[in-house]
Amino acid sequence: MIANILDGIVLGLQFGLLAAGLTLVYGLGGVLNLAYGQMAVISAIVITLALSAGVPVLLAVALGLFVGGLAGLILDLTILRPVYRLRGEPRVLLSLLLTLGVSFIIDGFLNWRYPLETLSLRIPGEAVEILGVPMRRGSLIASAITLVTFAALFGFFRYTSLGRAVRSVIQDQEGARLVGIYPHRMLRLILVLSGVLAGLVAVTRSMVTPVDAQSGLSITVFALIVTVVGGLGNVAGALLAGIILGIVSVIAANLIGTYISLIILLAAAALTILIRPAGLLGVKE
Amino acid sequence: MLKVKSLSAGYQGNDVVHQVDFEVGSGEAVMIIGSNGAGKTTLFRAMCGLLVPSSGQVFFEGTDISGAPAERIARLGLRFVAAERHLFPQMTVHENLLLGANPYRPDPKTMSLILDLFPRLAERRRQHAGTMSGGEQQMLAVGRALMSKPRLLVLDEPSTGLAPLLAQAAYEALGALRKQGLTVLVAEQQVPLAMSFSERGYVLENGYIKLQGTAQELAANPIVRRAYLGVT
Repeated sequence: MIANILDGIVLGLQFGLLAAGLTLVYGLGGVLNLAYGQMAVISAIVITLALSAGVPVLLAVALGLFVGGLAGLILDLTILRPVYRLRGEPRVLLSLLLTLGVSFIIDGFLNWRYPLETLSLRIPGEAVEILGVPMRRGSLIASAITLVTFAALFGFFRYTSLGRAVRSVIQDQEGARLVGIYPHRMLRLILVLSGVLAGLVAVTRSMVTPVDAQSGLSITVFALIVTVVGGLGNVAGALLAGIILGIVSVIAANLIGTYISLIILLAAAALTILIRPAGLLGVKE
Repeated sequence: MLKVKSLSAGYQGNDVVHQVDFEVGSGEAVMIIGSNGAGKTTLFRAMCGLLVPSSGQVFFEGTDISGAPAERIARLGLRFVAAERHLFPQMTVHENLLLGANPYRPDPKTMSLILDLFPRLAERRRQHAGTMSGGEQQMLAVGRALMSKPRLLVLDEPSTGLAPLLAQAAYEALGALRKQGLTVLVAEQQVPLAMSFSERGYVLENGYIKLQGTAQELAANPIVRRAYLGVT
């Protein structure tokens, strides 16, 4: 049981990180980015190509994160332009359709050009025992990176004036404008940040399972489920929902079978919408 | 300081306010009075950049700000306190005040002046804005606007949702700010409150400016007395 819970937490931290970038963009800008998983895959392929060209690991990872952020910036400057002219439901729908299109294009291109590139950042060394359970080093390092990332995100949002400005737009866009904050600049910043986070997802995930050109869709789907359960625009909610769903998913997979865990996750998301539409940590409007 | 020229604005092509002209001079306290639905909020939203005017011009300290976005107008030093307040509900009083100083660094001296003016805010500093009473939220909305040391403070119905005593207290606080030289423009349907505070005023009816004058002139005007002061 302890092994299940520890494995669940490891998986859950990954889920949380997956959702963070997606939930921020949705909460801030009413934009549902279905090309999010593909942004992660682009980073993964950039890192793979850099590594095979002999670039040192840390530099290759930095390059991957930079390209992830760049992908976010390009989305903001191109395909999302028409989305920004709309408000409310049409805005969400158009963003969903356009980014879905972008995801197909990226998927098609990557499967054509880089079908065999696989990012797998193996961390060598013996398993480490935690509470009597042997844990792989890759899982532990991935979890540590995730925790540090979340700590940095919380620090940014709570203690910096830029972070507060971002939160103000999420909480009351008109109020933010009345204190002289440009909502579009904040959204651009968050799109770049979400691209970097997507790149980080590729990095941490590849320490546990290989990431290749086909991984995009499943990353987006998991990110969506965790976002729904955690509450839109809520980073703490994403972390909490990620951990809960991670534990549920590992236990379900071990008790019943791997095939059931995705169904259980989808059911959890559906149930959340029925019981707490604003998510676990959501606040009623 | 503020000059509005023949401003018309509305929603979906239907103008709610028509060719409105008015002015606010430096150091003045000016009121725009009118009943519910007269167009006060639409007028202010069009002036402050939350709504694009259909025609006309707005000048703020000589700069043409007609149709400029609210965030730019706020940065020029014209701060608008909306009737709905638009606070950041899941942030503390302190964080709301810090954000008010945007785009500048929060000035501790301004902060302590505001907390002296509204001691309630000092008591509630760590409380989330969304959990406060209407009166406290109104104080916070004004305090947040003051954090940027605005050149002109524009308030839409500061008495909304407040019990009579609290509404009066809100106007007393505004009076104290006036004495420190702040220029204030206020829209109000509780006319006696606005009268006690302003030097000059305009009467807005069905989207048109119907009357204008000093507070004394308006208070003596039979139409104003009948329609807004409850004198028969």
